[in-house]
Amino acid sequence: MQQFIATRIFQGLITLIIVSFLAFFLVRLKGDPVDITAPPTFNEDQKQRLRELWGFDKPLAEQYVIFVTRAVTGDFGIAYLSKRPAMELVIERLGATWLLAGVASLIGLSVALPLGIISSLNRNSFFDLGSTMLASIGTAMPSFWLGLMMIIFFSVRLRLLPAFGARDPSAIIMPSLTMGVGMAAYLSRLTRSAMLEVLNEDYVRTAYSKGLITRTVVFRHAMKNALIPIMTVFGLQLGWLLGGSVVVESVFSWPGLGRLMIDSIGVRDNTVVQAALLFFSLSFISINIVIDILYAVIDPRIRFD
Amino acid sequence: MPGFNRKGILVLALIAVLALLAVPLGAQDMEETEFIIAHPGPIRTLDAPVTWFISTHWLANLLYDCLIWRTVDGSGYVGQAAESWENVDDTTWRFNLRPGNTFHNGEPLDAAAVKWNIDRVRTREDFMVQPQWVDVAEVIVVDETTVDIKTVGPTPYFEFIVSFNGCELLPPGYVEEVGDEAFSRAPIGSGPYVLSEFTESDRYVFEAWDDYWGGRPEIDRVIYQVIPEQSAQLAALLAGQVDMVSNVPAVELPGLEAAEDIVLTKETAAVMQHIYLRVDTTAGNMAETYPDFEPATLDLNVRQAISHAIDRDLLAEVHGAAVPRLGRICPHFPEGGADSFNNPETVTAHYDPDLARSLLADAGYADGGPTVYFDTPTVSRGGNEKEVAEVVSAMLEEVGFDVELNVLDPAAFGEQINSPGNNRDMMMVTLGCSVPLVPLFYRCVWPAAHHDVCVEEWDEVSNAILSEMNSETRLELWGQWWDYWFGVLQNVTLYEVQANIAYSSDFDFTPRKDGWYTFRENLKLAGDDM
Repeated sequence: MQQFIATRIFQGLITLIIVSFLAFFLVRLKGDPVDITAPPTFNEDQKQRLRELWGFDKPLAEQYVIFVTRAVTGDFGIAYLSKRPAMELVIERLGATWLLAGVASLIGLSVALPLGIISSLNRNSFFDLGSTMLASIGTAMPSFWLGLMMIIFFSVRLRLLPAFGARDPSAIIMPSLTMGVGMAAYLSRLTRSAMLEVLNEDYVRTAYSKGLITRTVVFRHAMKNALIPIMTVFGLQLGWLLGGSVVVESVFSWPGLGRLMIDSIGVRDNTVVQAALLFFSLSFISINIVIDILYAVIDPRIRFD
Repeated sequence: MPGFNRKGILVLALIAVLALLAVPLGAQDMEETEFIIAHPGPIRTLDAPVTWFISTHWLANLLYDCLIWRTVDGSGYVGQAAESWENVDDTTWRFNLRPGNTFHNGEPLDAAAVKWNIDRVRTREDFMVQPQWVDVAEVIVVDETTVDIKTVGPTPYFEFIVSFNGCELLPPGYVEEVGDEAFSRAPIGSGPYVLSEFTESDRYVFEAWDDYWGGRPEIDRVIYQVIPEQSAQLAALLAGQVDMVSNVPAVELPGLEAAEDIVLTKETAAVMQHIYLRVDTTAGNMAETYPDFEPATLDLNVRQAISHAIDRDLLAEVHGAAVPRLGRICPHFPEGGADSFNNPETVTAHYDPDLARSLLADAGYADGGPTVYFDTPTVSRGGNEKEVAEVVSAMLEEVGFDVELNVLDPAAFGEQINSPGNNRDMMMVTLGCSVPLVPLFYRCVWPAAHHDVCVEEWDEVSNAILSEMNSETRLELWGQWWDYWFGVLQNVTLYEVQANIAYSSDFDFTPRKDGWYTFRENLKLAGDDM
């Protein structure tokens, strides 16, 4: 187990190095940050001084080495515009993004699991058809559109919920629902198919024949085995929620990491973009390592060695 | 009731009634007025001189006083930290400061503080606004409340410079004590509002300052709330959760007109939409990118044909919030003499497709052509660039042009066309329209001359305008300047961009002519005198 965790962490580090390489060079493909940051009144000499000040006059390879060396110590440099450490800006936003992704995941799971299980137990029933239809709608509905519709209904018409921001505790309801709906739709279909597969297994039939009630069969025997694919996809979805929250954060003016990244890309604040990208990657990798470890907790038959 | 006679009961009852009446009255007095404007983008720092992003300076104007400031109607200047000022000689401007004035932290706002600020902004090369201040040669403290600013040469538009970006006065002692970085997070000024909350990309809260020299502002709290999506901004306005949206798309207006508690108004955005025409192949890097390309627009007849082929009235309708113009300067500026080119009759009469065809024939294109490449961003500062460019292309094809329209994402447009000066024949550009800025663009030393032409005689006129202290002589020079403008025809002006502003009927609001969304005397509670 320990060796497995060490291997996964090592793989994660390799991935992070690749991401850091991509983050560094891809943001530079967008061109010279000085060109967009400097006002039209700056002449070439002044722009050159700015490049020297920000270290853009050095060869790219040297800039990359400096970037990685500093990043290891948590120093991603100073944001060009706010003059604050990029890392500080990222950490400031991390909480809001994680909170949103966490609540959205809870909503997603708490809707998907019951819906998927009941559907699988009542295959081809009206409930199953209804939940299939809802899942299709949930998957097909763009989060951007759903978010705006919710704002129009709950904020403009009913005046119940705040249309933006994260000040009021109720402000999390609409953005987390918007994100949770897609997750719930996808996971409910996956839960249904995973459960159907397991429910046809011999050991489930044996459990029924022993006279166990459905609840015990489902939760004690079937669910444990069906959870593996669900957890794998949940891990990926959670990672997606952390990265994909950019759109929802923009619609609801949620002050999260996604918004920070989009704003920073717009003004080519490379230090912040790089720090945010690495944090997204780190979160994604960490979640997936935790999910891998949880496999063994849920299903003791799984041995990593 | 033992111990109380009838009179006593009456007095007690009266006191109780008065107390009951007084509670709501007192509560009403205590109720704070709050104004929230939906702001599209984040503000990164409130150490204002660091940045040249205009929207930063909108907020900074609440927090800081400058020496002087532009009036709401754009006709002149008013004193802020300076109660009066005069042009002592051609190169000396004297500012008399308000005695006893302080920053929010009690630090004196005296002549030494002013000198510290102007020296800081003109010498710090890492400040984006620094080039604006290179005309300042020296700042002299005459006495505690008098400061002389000496300019390198005669600078007739110095009042504009001293009231523009970077004019904000910071408390020297506090900045030196905490350093630039800490200051940018917890800035202190001397303006009518104190910054109470600064959450980047979320909101910026300003509270009225009791001790402001002009009196405590009527609105207790002004909040800039970042809402990036335009549709979300409008929803928040309709839900009563914000009080103003500053740039409403024309298509959304009918929906807002039906709302009872929303006021709609329209005001200049202080920018003009132009088409830049290629008049030589040396500016920018077009010659490197397209070495063998010979732009049709090198011929003045072709450029004039383009200008006459465009129906600006129709373009203004397509845009949805624009006023057709021919000149480069917005008419509300008191100088520049652009009125004669911008009146509606002149603009309408300029549209002459037959003349355009005839000019094309003179240029050797009687049988059709030429092919012109026209680059435009999908959308930019002017709004609806893509739609307008499509209509312009149709108008040009109507008189015989063959237009190759190239629509690009704004970032790609900046990268590929605008910033490197890669435009071949024509490109859409939105430019500021204030008098003191316009001649800068047409000087040969203009640093952003990547797509500009250098005409030495025109350059001399521009420089003369920027150094002529006599206003009558300057007006004559403006006359010559316009001759070059229309003679060279490097820009074809299309229209002055306006902004549709929607705000809560709880407030009375007078939009500023400079297009800045900053709130002082131009914002009151509805019903109060403005």
